[in-house]
Amino acid sequence: MTGGRAARLGGMPRERVAAHAFTLLALAAWAYAATQVPPIALAGPWTTAKALWAFVTDANQLAHMGYSLMHVGVAIAISFLVGSALAFLAHYVPVTALMIHGRISPFLNAFSGIGWALLALMWFGATHTTVIFAISMVLIPFALVNMKEGLATLDRELIEMGRSFGRMGAKRFLRITVPSLYPFMFATLRISFGVAWKVALTAELIGGGSGFGYLFDLARQDYRTPILFVVILLIIVFVYCADRFGFEPVQRRLQHHYANR
Amino acid sequence: MPTADLPKPVAAAHPRQRLLARLLADGLVVAVVLGWWAMAKALPANILPTPAAVAEEIWLLFTDRVYLGHTAVSVLRVVLSVILALLIGGLLAIWPANQRWARGIVHERIKPFLNSFPSIGWAILAVIWFKVSDFTAIFVQVAILVPFCLINISEGLKELDREALEMGRSFTRSRVKIFVRITLPLLLPYIVGALRIAYGVAWKIALVSELFGTGTGIGYLMGEAQQSAKPALLYACCFAIVLIFFAGEKLVLDPLSRRVRR
Repeated sequence: MTGGRAARLGGMPRERVAAHAFTLLALAAWAYAATQVPPIALAGPWTTAKALWAFVTDANQLAHMGYSLMHVGVAIAISFLVGSALAFLAHYVPVTALMIHGRISPFLNAFSGIGWALLALMWFGATHTTVIFAISMVLIPFALVNMKEGLATLDRELIEMGRSFGRMGAKRFLRITVPSLYPFMFATLRISFGVAWKVALTAELIGGGSGFGYLFDLARQDYRTPILFVVILLIIVFVYCADRFGFEPVQRRLQHHYANR
Repeated sequence: MPTADLPKPVAAAHPRQRLLARLLADGLVVAVVLGWWAMAKALPANILPTPAAVAEEIWLLFTDRVYLGHTAVSVLRVVLSVILALLIGGLLAIWPANQRWARGIVHERIKPFLNSFPSIGWAILAVIWFKVSDFTAIFVQVAILVPFCLINISEGLKELDREALEMGRSFTRSRVKIFVRITLPLLLPYIVGALRIAYGVAWKIALVSELFGTGTGIGYLMGEAQQSAKPALLYACCFAIVLIFFAGEKLVLDPLSRRVRR
């Protein structure tokens, strides 16, 4: 693909040269656009960098970053537990399958994220509970559907083999079923992480007094555009790095280890 | 969709098991409505309105001229945004398939950028850039939906049957013909998959565009209901979205999926 001379420029694959050139071009376009429109509409790269420095050196602002991380982390944990519990229940108690996959899952799957945030605000006020609840409710159907897929592909032969070797119920479940589900559990966490960040800010803006979303709301009201750009930049970098350097390598290893058994 | 193959284990089961499964499933719905009704009696109406009050508002959302206007505008916006996102995502996915040097640009730059961009970020920036308008709402929805379409169609292109393409090339050199006659039909299941995901995300997440970017639509109504303390309307909007979402799935997406699979 990139082996030929034509595919390389100065020893670097053409594909990477093009990607780096694109980044530079995008930065240049951003900087140029910022000189052409009022500062309220667009904070340029330099202004954003300065605001970023001010942000990361301000303990109060960093605390909001911590709150957002906490909201996302707790919501992922709750939705993973609830989604998995429902998927396991439907799998091991088949009479509940229709109730779970035919009623609960489609309903949660169709319910709007803003709806959850606004309802939670009404029920719990502007609290952490509101934010965590809204994110969790959006994530549960993702976790449920993903774990259902995992359970459906469980290797029956492997479980039969475990049975023939005399593994008891709980042991068989922990030693065979759970490890077989690792790739799906991880995929669930990865999807949840991506979606959580999409919803978290909205939930925090609507229903919380803390987190990136709250900062976003303040910045929006005071027309402090650089803060908007800093928060967006931080989230892009954070989500990208976590996915690229955290989730992706681990998932590849898990798939390699478990999927081909 | 989760419901498509669900009842299989139950369907294969004993009739008594099937009956029990149905009793549990529908019993849950009845129990939730009854529980809601009982709680609504005990709680103030500004926290939890009765199911009847909410049902009345839902009816209005689909019959009252003003409310119906909001509902119709939201549906139109979602349909338009999904189509535009599908087109833009599709073009972005196809670009590196033809020009391999663009792979890094699309998959290492544009895709992660769009995929990590917070949806509320688009909503607020778009209001600053374009003011409150229909264009703003559609821009935000498209910006949120494009990465989902791009990812799904890219996956499809990766899985394309190379042999079929090779065979096509042995019959004609016309790239357009190969694209229309071979690539596109092979891609169709992934395009429908992208359509399904985009449609879901549009109602669940991208509706935030209407909360900030416009003065019309169900998202706007939800914000209004919350601010002017009309909980029944807020609940009704949430359930109306569920109903519209199901209608779109059953009437358009499911038949489309069946046709593509055939």
